[in-house]
Amino acid sequence: MGLAAASSIGLGMPNLPVARVVGHPGVQSKDMLERNVLEVTLEQVIDNLLKAPQAAGAGDEPGARDVIVKGGFQEINDYFYDNGLSDGLPIVPPTREKVEQFLRFTDRDPGESLGALLPDSRAATIWSIAVNGVMAGCRPEYMPVLVALIEAMADPAYGVEHSGNTPGGETLIIVNGPVIQQLGFNYTQGAMRDGFRPNTAIGRFWRLYLRNVAGFLPHQNDKATFGNTWRVVVAENEDVLKQIGWEPNSADFGFAAEDSTVTIARYTGGNHISSVSGATPEAMMPYLTDAMIRQYSWQLMFTVGQGMGTLRPLMLLSPIIAETIAGWGWSRRDLKRHLFEHARIPAREFERILRDWTQKPTWNLAEEARAGRIPKVFHASDDPGRRVPLVWKPEDYMLAVTGDLTRNSVYVFAHNGVLGYPVAKRIR
Amino acid sequence: MAGNDGYYEALWPRSPRQARVKPLAKRLDTLAGKTVAQVWDHLFRGDEVFEFLEAGFKARYPGVRFVSWREFGNTHGSEEREVVAALPQRFRELGVDALISGMGC
Repeated sequence: MGLAAASSIGLGMPNLPVARVVGHPGVQSKDMLERNVLEVTLEQVIDNLLKAPQAAGAGDEPGARDVIVKGGFQEINDYFYDNGLSDGLPIVPPTREKVEQFLRFTDRDPGESLGALLPDSRAATIWSIAVNGVMAGCRPEYMPVLVALIEAMADPAYGVEHSGNTPGGETLIIVNGPVIQQLGFNYTQGAMRDGFRPNTAIGRFWRLYLRNVAGFLPHQNDKATFGNTWRVVVAENEDVLKQIGWEPNSADFGFAAEDSTVTIARYTGGNHISSVSGATPEAMMPYLTDAMIRQYSWQLMFTVGQGMGTLRPLMLLSPIIAETIAGWGWSRRDLKRHLFEHARIPAREFERILRDWTQKPTWNLAEEARAGRIPKVFHASDDPGRRVPLVWKPEDYMLAVTGDLTRNSVYVFAHNGVLGYPVAKRIR
Repeated sequence: MAGNDGYYEALWPRSPRQARVKPLAKRLDTLAGKTVAQVWDHLFRGDEVFEFLEAGFKARYPGVRFVSWREFGNTHGSEEREVVAALPQRFRELGVDALISGMGC
């Protein structure tokens, strides 16, 4: 109910009537659910259809460039926190002078909007990007990265409107290209650890912007069951990529190696796999395929079901792993092909997972494949024990090389499918 | 202003909403003899909830007719934008008087 009320404001229907289903349907017997619907929900639905809700108007808000509070550092921070405008950590007060420093690093008009972001339907203006960049502790020279990130956030393919969903996934940002050296991103040991300003502050900026402009606040539009805080930005180790002859992640999105880019996607979790051992790719791959399989259960509904071919698993490889695999002549494409062909589970298990986690009681991959709704690889035979892939095609796997130069580890992210699909943008 | 806490004039970090407040559709005088569409996001047992609601409506309002959520597709998933965009035309074609959309959580 709270989510419906919060979302309806941003959609321009603040008085949209909603009816309540008592409790959570997922934990009720059929009898209990029927009783709750007939005794409570039915009456409210009928009222909503027959009785006109009270007229509603837009609430008063400050102007886009208004000063909203004046005072000392603590006063400013208390005001921002008390009004839901910060994440609980101290912010850098966004003064006009600071904002203008950021604006000097872009030739875009401060009033330009990159789109209206749901659920609040606020304009993603260059001005608001600068304001939130200041607050997050970014340096002014990060501004082109921040603009590219909000271009990505506003891309419909990403689906920002899903950012407050139950699984509470969090966006991972990957940067590629010369910007890594120019801004001093960490891309070696502790690649996902705070402590490096561009990685940390830009990661925080992303979450502040989701809060302040898209409108995702916990207890309102953000319904993450558990959630987690923003992720530190990951930069690829392009020194190692050059040495081993692999293209960067950004190449998968059509960018050249000399392009600086950001890539975003939402992940509901992940796992670190230590001590991946072996002197050859063949010896290492069982670790990697096993890690991939173990990271995916309910998310398979984004391969077949709710998402249909939108699952894009991401694997981070430490440089030693990438060097060893590449040393035997394998390209990134070879590695993806291997994951596609070997990270597989029995068809009967895939169907069980779909049955357990979707509203459809019976799943038949053979039927879906025959109807042309999924690739034929899911029905190579009628054997229920045949092994089927986790994704539609090898290119659905994403890879990035980063992390400690002396560790043989990988990290697999559980992707949120259509509810945070990968999008990449050039940093200009 | 305390000690060396500084002095700042802080700007609003939000930006104007782009959606203007829209008037809601006129409510019905009665549900008797009306056509009610069900729209579903394939979550939270909405199929059963709609089934119970339908029975409750029919017990009270003679001649009320329902157009099942099966007619419209999933409003949450890969095809959600296409499904939602097609709704107004589908409602006109099906003579829909009112709509129940579920399930939020």
